Amino acid sequence: MDEAITLSKVVEVSPTTRHEGHSKLVLKVNDDGIIERGDWLSITPVRGVEKLAIGKTMDQVPKIASRVCGICPIAHTLAATEAMEASIGCEITEDAYLLRLILQCANRLHSIALHDILVLPDMYLPGTDTKINPFTPEEPVRSVAKRIQTLRMVGQTVGEIVGGEAVHPSNTRVGGMYKNITPRAKAKIQDLAKMALPLAREQMELMIAIFNNWQKRDWAEVGGKEIPIPKEFGYHNQGYMAADPIYGSSSLDENPTWFPERWTEVRPWDWYMGEEEITLEDPSYPIGGTTKAGVKAWPQMEACTGVPLYDGQPVEVGPRARLVTYKNFDQKGAMGQNIAREMEYMDAVYKMIEAADALNCSGAVLPNVIPQGDGSVGWAANEAPRGCDVHLAKVRNGKVEWFSMLVPTTWNFPTCSRALEGAPWQLAEIIVRAYDPCVSCATHMIVVDEDRRLVAEKLLE
Amino acid sequence: MFELYPEIVIAGCGNMLFGDDGFGPEVVERLKAYNLPDNVKAVDVGLGGPHFCFTLLDNGITKKLIIIDIVDFGAEPGTLTKLRVEDLPPGSYRDAHSWDLTEPLNRLKDTVDIMVIGCQPKNVPSADFELSISKEVEEAIPRTIQVVLKEIGVNNGNS
Repeated sequence: MDEAITLSKVVEVSPTTRHEGHSKLVLKVNDDGIIERGDWLSITPVRGVEKLAIGKTMDQVPKIASRVCGICPIAHTLAATEAMEASIGCEITEDAYLLRLILQCANRLHSIALHDILVLPDMYLPGTDTKINPFTPEEPVRSVAKRIQTLRMVGQTVGEIVGGEAVHPSNTRVGGMYKNITPRAKAKIQDLAKMALPLAREQMELMIAIFNNWQKRDWAEVGGKEIPIPKEFGYHNQGYMAADPIYGSSSLDENPTWFPERWTEVRPWDWYMGEEEITLEDPSYPIGGTTKAGVKAWPQMEACTGVPLYDGQPVEVGPRARLVTYKNFDQKGAMGQNIAREMEYMDAVYKMIEAADALNCSGAVLPNVIPQGDGSVGWAANEAPRGCDVHLAKVRNGKVEWFSMLVPTTWNFPTCSRALEGAPWQLAEIIVRAYDPCVSCATHMIVVDEDRRLVAEKLLE
Repeated sequence: MFELYPEIVIAGCGNMLFGDDGFGPEVVERLKAYNLPDNVKAVDVGLGGPHFCFTLLDNGITKKLIIIDIVDFGAEPGTLTKLRVEDLPPGSYRDAHSWDLTEPLNRLKDTVDIMVIGCQPKNVPSADFELSISKEVEEAIPRTIQVVLKEIGVNNGNS
């Protein structure tokens, strides 16, 4: 064992809470409790959607993809559908695109509002030492909660109008959409979006004030202790990856904005820490204390996701990646990520209105001919709420020969792990939550080496 | 004002990628073939029950929530049971995610009448996907539909 390791203590938070899926934190900390090395990893078992997809029809696979996650069915449906279209070389009509764009915005609107609920309990009412309970019946929080609920309702209702179902969209299909919407449905979307517009602005402004207030505080309470908040909380020096400010890109684009040749992947074995004994425990840490001392953690064996790299480095995906890439946003750290997400409220609503205004309800939403594919590789990168969701496919004669999902949180695991360094370990989960992680689908085991060949497919158990 | 969720909501929970866990969504899919009253909505919530549905039912309109899901209560596969929120032991009945299913339900139970119709599964693979519902659970689907229809007061001509 090398000397540096023996000087550090190891603490484990497992599982992390208030986000989708199961993940954990294994943290090497110094005597002051500051993280020297952090590993944040998925412990949700691999599910093998890539295997299941082989031999299924190109219309079945997007339905399967939409089921791998409880909160991202829209993003996965769109990314998978468009990966199929990219493989078979099928362009969709303008009105089909507008419907998908509305769906995309509806999904983002709901997702930002849902994240507000998940993240608020870590935050303080500005000017007080009172943490926010989003479920309290008391003002002023009650009105905020109602506003969040209204925004979620608008997002989900618009999603249902366009997508055909409240949760798993049934109206999208390879080639476009099954049906256009009626003029009355379009008017309803316009009404709902216009109602949401001032609410989204108020909500955005409040949340930004709350996040800025948190970053300016000297301490945050965790498990009854006042933990100092560092100035550069959650900073990292990794790059960003985004394919579009709102929607996405695919290999059908004239100028694609995601580049498969820049993507490589390494095994968790080569990335994460080896076996470590837990040497620091804190029974007062919420919820139920940290892992007991003496227990062994073995991140490189336990991690359920490969580590995707872009230009050989981990990158951040998500709201800040989009804002940095397309809008000169420059706020770093965990609160910068949270603030970037809030800033996407307005575009989600404005784009929804613009797309609804431009939609011709009598326009065709399917092309005359849908090619069946010759086995070419196609990819689609959908800018999901949590970041760039890339699906890749090969379709031949209508059947899927190969399918792969590179989901946002898989990109963010190694990046966020770097962002943990320098923070007190008790605040690590606040950094994790800033990424709005969605872990259950972030399981992907196909490993691509430097030559971009498929080299290993690790199966657990 | 348009309301996403009406007076009675039937939520089919589960994931068709995990064998019998597809029970809830399948029941909802077949329920849609029936003419349900205007105040009833059947939703395939998949894994997103807590995120997309249960946390949005505090709208002042929804009075009744019927959850359809698989429940391991040690019975023969395909056996149905009716549970109340109080019957769900905290922590022991979770969806696949960090949000405990019972947490939003407990918050809701004073304003919404909540019932869980559970079916004992036979096969729920833990890691690998499997797209099929077992014969026993499949046979429970029509029975479940009758229970639901009765619960929402729809006389379908076959008691």
